[in-house]
Amino acid sequence: MASSNPDKLMSKGDKLTKLSFTRWSADWKAATGFYEQAAIGFRMKKDNEKAKEAFEKASKGQEMISSPWDAAKHMESAAALAKELSRWNEVSDHYRKASELYMECGRSQPASDALAKGASSLEDVEPKEAIRLYNDAILILEEDGKEQMAFDLYRAATSLYVKLEKYVDAANFLLRWGVAADKCNAVNSQCKAYLSAILVYLYAHDFAQAQKCYNDCTQIDAFLNSDQNRCASKLFSAYREGDVEEIKHIAQSSPISHLDHVIIKLARKLPTGDLEGLKAEASDEQQEALDEDDLT
Amino acid sequence: MSVIDILTRVDAICKKYDKYDVEKQRGDGSNIAGDDAFARLYSSVEADIEAALQKAELATQEKNRAAAVAMNAEIRRSKARLLEEVPKLQRLALKKVKGLSKEELAARNDLVIALPERIQSIPDGTSNGTKQTGGWTASASRPEIRFDTTPDGKFDSEYFQQTEESNKFKQEFEMRKMNQASICFRFVNLADQGLDAIAEGLDTLKNMAHDMNEELDRQVPLIDEIDTKVDRANADLKNTNVRLKDTVNQLRSSRNFCIDIILLCIILGIAAYLYKGLVLIYLLGSFVLIALDFG
Repeated sequence: MASSNPDKLMSKGDKLTKLSFTRWSADWKAATGFYEQAAIGFRMKKDNEKAKEAFEKASKGQEMISSPWDAAKHMESAAALAKELSRWNEVSDHYRKASELYMECGRSQPASDALAKGASSLEDVEPKEAIRLYNDAILILEEDGKEQMAFDLYRAATSLYVKLEKYVDAANFLLRWGVAADKCNAVNSQCKAYLSAILVYLYAHDFAQAQKCYNDCTQIDAFLNSDQNRCASKLFSAYREGDVEEIKHIAQSSPISHLDHVIIKLARKLPTGDLEGLKAEASDEQQEALDEDDLT
Repeated sequence: MSVIDILTRVDAICKKYDKYDVEKQRGDGSNIAGDDAFARLYSSVEADIEAALQKAELATQEKNRAAAVAMNAEIRRSKARLLEEVPKLQRLALKKVKGLSKEELAARNDLVIALPERIQSIPDGTSNGTKQTGGWTASASRPEIRFDTTPDGKFDSEYFQQTEESNKFKQEFEMRKMNQASICFRFVNLADQGLDAIAEGLDTLKNMAHDMNEELDRQVPLIDEIDTKVDRANADLKNTNVRLKDTVNQLRSSRNFCIDIILLCIILGIAAYLYKGLVLIYLLGSFVLIALDFG
């Protein structure tokens, strides 16, 4: 039976499940078996379309016989085949369904993994959907108290945002990463996340925002006593003096070289834009203070 | 965790291709005293002056006039470049740096002031005589006399004879003081270089250690889970094994017994019925069968 034609197996399975006059209840158990074999056969023949359908039906069958774990596994295979066929909305739907089935089993890690797989397959084609999937994956893990596992997801999402040049969103994600690291006492990752956020703001040439971010981060003791804090303060003083050489030198220094490679690339391209403008702002502020003194 | 693998492999690859990295070769000079911009720049200017002096020596020894002229032109160009750097150095000298005493700050200033004369004195094949006479009477220090090479040895002795001797001692003293400062600088720079390399290595190690720490923290609950699951599976297996053993034993004893008896009777009956003469042989055969069954 295993070596017989996958099409025949499919039709056998269909016959068992289609309700008609003679058949009042579908025999899902046997049908699922047939569907699975058919799917494997189709996959070996590289007939992606039919294999995908077979996997979908097998998954439905498993659901009917109340084994969500196998159902989820089949859904994932179907999603992978949909990716080969470039059916992007199906990819997203299948991975989400698989994730829900995993949650039914009470296993949050595989659920989040399924969403992460979906997101990575959609990164190039539908980045917004990919971001949504990453977000949902992170939420699943955080609800279950497994923030440690979410670090890779945060990193992937941040690099996607940077690729899309959405620097504010990227910085936001980095700050969220910092919060997650804080919850599981991963001080090194937390400080690195904060330094990366500051760098992203500086790269987007938003000096005020970067300054605010830095001030917020220094409220946190762990960051205040870290190497990354010192590096950030050196960077800010270099920016205030408009010293391009110094900024480049700091960008080569060790705390920055140990960050994620996407962030390192941004750091090496600092400073972006006009430092003179920043210097003028800083000196204006000082001058205003002097004027007030003169008046009094 | 493959992060460490990746790090070490990338380091190995980078080291392999370092010789192609022009920026790094140029940047090697700036490794000295990383934080202190003044020391960096000063050491680079020093290095350039040394190089120019060596080139000047080569130029004087050069037999080929065209090559000598070309070398002198190069020296002149580098002198002009170095003179441009001096004002920058002066600005940096005045800047206050952490951990620097007042004397050192003053010394730096002096060093910077002495630089232009040193640069000018690098022989570049032009009429040195007139320039140097003008320079000597005006300046307070004599930086052109060196420990190792005197590219215009003849000049010096002549002029020493001609100018006032009282100046000579003062100038020699100041020049020696400056040389000492530069030698100290060079030793300190070497030590700093070594320490910087060690610091960099330690930084990388620290970062890797932190990452390993966090990774292990991540693995701990996973391994605990695996531990409980494996314990459960182990207990199940033991249970199953014992039951299986019992079942197999049971089957063996009862089944064999019945089959043995039945076979024995049939065989004896057939043998006795058909072959009255060969009963003994068949009896023997049946005993063999029993033995096989039990074995």
